[in-house]
Amino acid sequence: MKDREEVMDNVATNENWKTCFSQLAPGLVLFARQWVRSGSDAEDVVQEAFVRFWRQKRDVANRGLLYATVRTVALDLIRKDSRRARREAEAYSDTVQTIEPQFEGDDDSQRLLAGAVSRLPHEQREVLVMKIWNDLTFAEIGDALGISQNTAASRYRYALAALKKDLLPQ
Amino acid sequence: MNDFSEMEDELRKLRPVSPSQQLFERVARELENSAEVEPPNNIIRPARFNFGWVSLGLGLAAAAAFVLLARVNEPTTGPAKIASSAPATPVPAQQLNTFVPAGASRIVYHTRDEGLLFPPGSSEPVRRVRSRARETLQWHNPTTGASLRVSYPSEEVQLIPVAGQ
Repeated sequence: MKDREEVMDNVATNENWKTCFSQLAPGLVLFARQWVRSGSDAEDVVQEAFVRFWRQKRDVANRGLLYATVRTVALDLIRKDSRRARREAEAYSDTVQTIEPQFEGDDDSQRLLAGAVSRLPHEQREVLVMKIWNDLTFAEIGDALGISQNTAASRYRYALAALKKDLLPQ
Repeated sequence: MNDFSEMEDELRKLRPVSPSQQLFERVARELENSAEVEPPNNIIRPARFNFGWVSLGLGLAAAAAFVLLARVNEPTTGPAKIASSAPATPVPAQQLNTFVPAGASRIVYHTRDEGLLFPPGSSEPVRRVRSRARETLQWHNPTTGASLRVSYPSEEVQLIPVAGQ
């Protein structure tokens, strides 16, 4: 896998955006899935956010901005359609993996781990997704979410601790 | 290494579901459309002609200051023409630098009677009067027509003897 900085440099130079997008898209869609419960909605969010980001020629040295754009678009989508928001809230309590998995793989242990991730508190899960599957630094996560770097790191540690506790053999 | 390194490794083994091919096609279509719509960079946009009133005001102020300074430094036309019309009789440098007193004035704008007091070693009282004034001295150079004017504030204390009855 290419280094993340190299990928973002390619984005900055407007060259071969497809290569860049293919590197970033899985993580971006996973990030968007935290607010919308279907893969197609998440793809809609990522499409709008990425195109908006690209057209505005943002400074990609601030990597958190792309993820902040995804987050903003997702939240706007929820606000625009209250029925959708209610539907998302109802689906939030369900086990998502049984409907539409967010991770690939058939291994039982991985399925358990994915289920534990989906049960994390929202604020911990979004930090975990940005850190593990999008390789953002805590500073970039803080910028994207509008929180301090220390808060982002704390939420990340809480998430890992919660996962560890959740997966302990009973 | 921290306590969660094993958990982090396990999490990284989870691969997010790949987005659909339609997503790539839709993004490509949007970006290609925007590239077609976007005008080339060599077109001057109307927004670039916008200017702020502050910059306009600063510019006018700078121009006004420049005009004032230019007029202050401009040589006086009358006497200079006379001087330049007689090149056959050059004026000595010493005469050029000679200024003669042209006037002096002292305008008292405040006087206060501070009462009677006995100066040390004196048996007679005196009245102390303090006055404030502005003094102005003027010189004139008859050769070049230049004038010099100095003005400064001054304070004066007068002790006026009081005759006893």
